[in-house]
Amino acid sequence: MASSSLASSSKRAFARRSPAFTKFLLASRPASTKPDDVGLYVPGGPVYKGTVNDPTTFPTPSRTHGSHHWSFERLLSAALIPLTGAAFATSPSVHPVLDGILGMSLVVHSHMGFDSMVVDYLHPRKFPVLGPTATWTLRSATVTALIGIYQFNTNDIGLTELISKVWSA
Amino acid sequence: MMSTRALGLGSPLRKTLFSQRTALNQSLVRTTLAKRAVQTESLPPSASNKILNQQRLLRPSSPHFTIYQPQLTWIASIANRATGGALSALLYGFSIAYLVAPGTFDSVHVVEFVAGLPDAVKYAGKALLAAPFMFHSLNGVRHLAWDMTKFMSIKGVYQTGYAVLAGSAIGTIALVLM
Amino acid sequence: MSLLPRLPVPRFSRHFASSAARALATPVQKPVLNKEFKIYRWNPDEPAKKPTLQSYTIDLNQTGPMILDALIKIKNEIDPTLTFRRSCREGICGSCAMNIDGQNTLACLCRIDRKEGKDSKIYPLPHMYVVKDLVPDLTQFYKQYKSIKPYLQNPNPPADGKEFLQSPEDRKKLDGMYECILCACCSTSCPSYWWNQDEYLGPATLMQAYRWIADSRDSHTAERREVLQNEMSLYRCHTIFNCTRTCPKGLNPAQAIAKIKIELAAE
Repeated sequence: MASSSLASSSKRAFARRSPAFTKFLLASRPASTKPDDVGLYVPGGPVYKGTVNDPTTFPTPSRTHGSHHWSFERLLSAALIPLTGAAFATSPSVHPVLDGILGMSLVVHSHMGFDSMVVDYLHPRKFPVLGPTATWTLRSATVTALIGIYQFNTNDIGLTELISKVWSA
Repeated sequence: MMSTRALGLGSPLRKTLFSQRTALNQSLVRTTLAKRAVQTESLPPSASNKILNQQRLLRPSSPHFTIYQPQLTWIASIANRATGGALSALLYGFSIAYLVAPGTFDSVHVVEFVAGLPDAVKYAGKALLAAPFMFHSLNGVRHLAWDMTKFMSIKGVYQTGYAVLAGSAIGTIALVLM
Repeated sequence: MSLLPRLPVPRFSRHFASSAARALATPVQKPVLNKEFKIYRWNPDEPAKKPTLQSYTIDLNQTGPMILDALIKIKNEIDPTLTFRRSCREGICGSCAMNIDGQNTLACLCRIDRKEGKDSKIYPLPHMYVVKDLVPDLTQFYKQYKSIKPYLQNPNPPADGKEFLQSPEDRKKLDGMYECILCACCSTSCPSYWWNQDEYLGPATLMQAYRWIADSRDSHTAERREVLQNEMSLYRCHTIFNCTRTCPKGLNPAQAIAKIKIELAAE
């Protein structure tokens, strides 16, 4: 009763508004030969490339960014477990190479983690300025950290021993 | 409408509305009126996409993590990333600091500084380092097991999840007391 | 609302007219058990108005057991402008996927929590563009599904010209994947899909990609794998498991994705 009268009134309201509304929309965008989504498409935005019947497309295949990257990340992560155990079990002053490898691996592991965050949250296609800035900041920070950890391992006591000493300090 | 039914007028009203003669009249009236009121415009099929896109641009995006139920699945995942990020930031921070100012951040100074801290701060600091380390390590193993398609049922996910939480708690205590 | 028919008069008059015996035959009036539903509303006719939560209170003892029953009751009796998709009411069409009390599920398969004093919040599927109220725009989701070519590709039909045959073991590999109804609950529960849904395929589409990779009758397995070899389409999956946790059909998209990753790594 109440509901049906409400329904019909809203239907009428829509019918009344619809043509004018359509006209307003069309007037705001003059007809052109370009595809409709040009200029409106934003990655992740509400406008999609092509019509509803066009499938999405895939980026150019690259194993470096695909399975090789994935496998390397897993192998490195898995290798960190025995590496950490071995570095702390043995004396770092006896095995400086082991300690050095651990430090380097940790930095590379960290780099891949940070890089994953940049791709997830600040991808250049969505953030044309911030994205590349973050990527290059990360790359330079990683290189600097690698040099730093190498210096610390060669000129100082090394990461493993530092942690042991700090822990018992 | 309600009141018409309560008064028992529903049926006579309906009869008047839908009797054939009036219906004919009504449709006649409606078409005449419609012809005058509605301006039709012929559009190419491509225009439909244009109209659709204009409507799409007005659409709001529905809420996501603010309304999603906190579940062990995604809370553990974001915790894995946060703990890893925090430890990595510390590693980067120390390495770069050592490269920039080796005189200030060499091992002797760092150990001296830590040794000078009060015990409470030492324990708090150790817990603050040990907890993310233990969680990230154990959860990392859990992830590696998943990557080999082990423990992939919901039961497996929850059992390993609670195991990681318990293991992290025990490991943290052990490391702090070490 | 206030316009609702709440006139007890006819019922009472019926009682007076009936005999004592017939009065006994009428069902016992259940006590009123009111529950508040807070439902996400947004109207495209008033696009400037911010989306809001609108509150509706209904008597659960006059409602069916499922959330969809409550929604239909609200639409029929309180507010006909409330908009949502529904069709089969038995969990096979996937239309009524929405976020109920913080979890994506099908309204028709989700029981109403009858705990007293507890309201229920209903939102559209998370991080999707809203067409109206609880109706999200699934265009991108369908376009992605289309991109993985969800059909048998095999240019060499069997010699006898009849059907492609498959061993029972090979057929078994498709169990747990072919049952997907594409309701989009899993994809829209995935944080990776929230942040990168224009490039990342999401759990539903990836599981269907694997459904065709795993099909022994399909001859385009290599091509199907090759298109996933990039940073975005597959590898934005970080094994979060929201997909498997939320699937109203009890399927395991996370496992299917893990199997794709293993197969790609072994290539």
